[in-house]
Amino acid sequence: MTRREYLSKQKEMGRNLIGVFPAYYPKEILWAFNAVPAEIWDPPLEIAGANAHLQPYICSVAKLGLELILQGKGDILDGLLFPHTCDSIQNLASIVYDYLGLNKPCYFFYHPKAPYRNSSRTYYLEQLRSFVSRLEKDMGPLDGGELKHRVEQGHHLAAILREIYDLRSQGDFSASNAEFYRVIRQGEYLHPDDFIPLLEGFLGRSKGGDGKGSAVILSGILANPPEILGLLDDLGVRVANDDLLNCGRRLLMEPGRMEDPFEALTANYFAMPPCTTKDSPLDERVNDLLKKIEKSSTKGVIFYMVKFCEPELFDVPQMVAAVKTAGVATLIIDVDLNQGLSGQLTTRVEAFVEMIS
Amino acid sequence: MSLTKSIRYNFMKDIGAPAVMGFAKAGKKKRRRKPNPNFGPPLKCANRLKEIMTRHYFLSRYAEGARPVAWVTSGAPVELLRPFDFYTIYPENHGALCGAQRLGPELCSVAEEHGYNQDLCSYARIDIGHFLSGKTPVGKLPRPDILFASNNICQTVAYWYKVLAHQLKIPFLLFDTPYNFEEITENDITYMVSQLEEMIPILEEVSGKRFNNQRFEQIMLLARDSSFTWGEVLATMKTEPAPMTIFDAFIHLAPIVSLRGLPVALDYYQTLLDELRERIDRGIGAIKNERKRLMWDNIAIWYKVRDFSNLFAEHGMNFVTATYTNAWAETISNMDTDKPLESMARTYSLVVLNNNLNHRLGLMERLIKEYKVDGLVIHSAKSCKPYSVGQYDLKRLLMDRLGVPSVVIDADITDFRAYSEEQTRTRLEAFFEGMED
Ligand code: SF4
Repeated sequence: MTRREYLSKQKEMGRNLIGVFPAYYPKEILWAFNAVPAEIWDPPLEIAGANAHLQPYICSVAKLGLELILQGKGDILDGLLFPHTCDSIQNLASIVYDYLGLNKPCYFFYHPKAPYRNSSRTYYLEQLRSFVSRLEKDMGPLDGGELKHRVEQGHHLAAILREIYDLRSQGDFSASNAEFYRVIRQGEYLHPDDFIPLLEGFLGRSKGGDGKGSAVILSGILANPPEILGLLDDLGVRVANDDLLNCGRRLLMEPGRMEDPFEALTANYFAMPPCTTKDSPLDERVNDLLKKIEKSSTKGVIFYMVKFCEPELFDVPQMVAAVKTAGVATLIIDVDLNQGLSGQLTTRVEAFVEMIS
Repeated sequence: MSLTKSIRYNFMKDIGAPAVMGFAKAGKKKRRRKPNPNFGPPLKCANRLKEIMTRHYFLSRYAEGARPVAWVTSGAPVELLRPFDFYTIYPENHGALCGAQRLGPELCSVAEEHGYNQDLCSYARIDIGHFLSGKTPVGKLPRPDILFASNNICQTVAYWYKVLAHQLKIPFLLFDTPYNFEEITENDITYMVSQLEEMIPILEEVSGKRFNNQRFEQIMLLARDSSFTWGEVLATMKTEPAPMTIFDAFIHLAPIVSLRGLPVALDYYQTLLDELRERIDRGIGAIKNERKRLMWDNIAIWYKVRDFSNLFAEHGMNFVTATYTNAWAETISNMDTDKPLESMARTYSLVVLNNNLNHRLGLMERLIKEYKVDGLVIHSAKSCKPYSVGQYDLKRLLMDRLGVPSVVIDADITDFRAYSEEQTRTRLEAFFEGMED
């Protein structure tokens, strides 16, 4: 079933569909409102109309998201949610909300930026409550029991994902890179009632097996163009772990076990791996990456940048320096989304793989 | 802090700096620039401004080890730092200075050679380039003891200062101001107030001084009065002909950015305001033949300020307002010593770049009406996403709602490798023609 077909079916089942721009948001709250978050990262569209609103130096994540709205592909959605991720998404949210005259609600979610202090936690907790109040205006009162259930479901989901990532990192997970990310990324739109069984099946099928060989880690926003994953498969290289905003950085945390669901969600947010878009200190980012390298005996890191992505690009030089000091090779790639693999890019990846093999 | 360095700093402050300034002044008298027939007499205050800023950078060379040093972003609530006697350096102001002296690409290249992408904000690249090479037109910048930023102008400053904090292994304080997608909430205010409270012990530790609330309030008042006076300076341009141009304002805003909360900034703006009022009384315009009045959107193109100033004056067009210069006057009425931290939170989080685009549109409409603006020049600055994203829509909406014609110039604030003279000239010629229709 395609993503579109799935979402249409969810709508028929009476669920609200909320289009969510990158990156951090409390998805459990949306589930508790019987809503399905449909994340908008890299819709397969040609950029046309978005160029009338956004300058050439704006990244393709922002442009493709806007394009989706302008082309009416988001008409099925009941609302849009804009987390505060970076300057481009912040202003894009304002363009959509203030200027496009869309006939659907827009929600905003500001999360505190690091370095974190006590005030950051208190604020995040209050932000969750205000988010709920805002949603209640459109979707009716929140059922506290349902929220608790969805938070627990989120914890279960996180545990499966951690297990999958751990196995993969140790080379005990046999899925190809392309298959791995195809499945993991379905979490960007599947309801947890569907995603959890899918992941459990995936885990059962792929546990063990021959996943050894050269390994790399991907760092950046998302693995697009996805052909990069296929190319690494062809070259016999396993993506052992990732520091990708749309995957590892949001999925791999030890969930908070508090009774109160809001407290638990707050703990989750602060337990996530460090991230550029949360202004995490560079030391934390470097240490996190080095730990991942060590755990998976990786010989190379590919910094997979989306062109014009400021938060990522600022951290890269120091991350590269730290990785090199640890004796691990690096490759920096700077791409527009959905552009496939050029001959030049293929050659660079091949040369890199040869070096680490 | 070192005693020897303190003695040296105080000596330079009391004797060295005045001597150097006097020497520079004497040298300056010998040079005379041919007056441009399109302009009124130059502002007398310009020399005083130069003295103030030269002294600021000159003294900064001796500040390291003598006073705690902070590198601060232009939108950060510096009032909180002043009671601890921090010597404050504004890398953005330094970046503008480098830009005006056409040093942008040279310093940016140093950062680029170290892996910083050419698409990153050029103020940041200049600063990192300076940090890595020591190159600067001001002699030397003191090494900071602390970094103080607010993301009320952009998220970029946090990414940039994080890099410095990592390199220098010094504390980084971020004043996180939630973006106003709709309106500021009580939760946002409480969060910002708590952050300011949490910063005080860190500042005490770094500076070795206790926080003095009375002094803090005096500084707040000084900062408030300076910003008010700066606002009045800008408001003189409502007069026809305007006694100054926005290009003058770009230069004269240096004290409100870099010396806010210090008596020198207030004194300076009072003197400037007196001079402008006198010009108004005597009917002196900044340009001789002010036929059209324009608004500027975004930060200046620092390496083109003089050229643009001449070009527009030749066409009898004067820039009388800008969203940029207005930013240091716009929200100051929130400053209130009865609720010091809360009012600081409002003052600093309500600035134009931390506010949604509807707010920006409303502000521009108001400025267009109040300053009787005939046309708009939009600088789409490659460096600055928060300022630039949304400009295409603003252009369209201002045309639809107020019939104000506009032109977009694709450029950068300091990196002239992102600027095409030919393309800009073509666009401006079309704009000039359109303005005459
Ligand atoms: S130019 Fe823009 S992006 Fe750069 S520091 Fe200033 S506000 Fe931030």
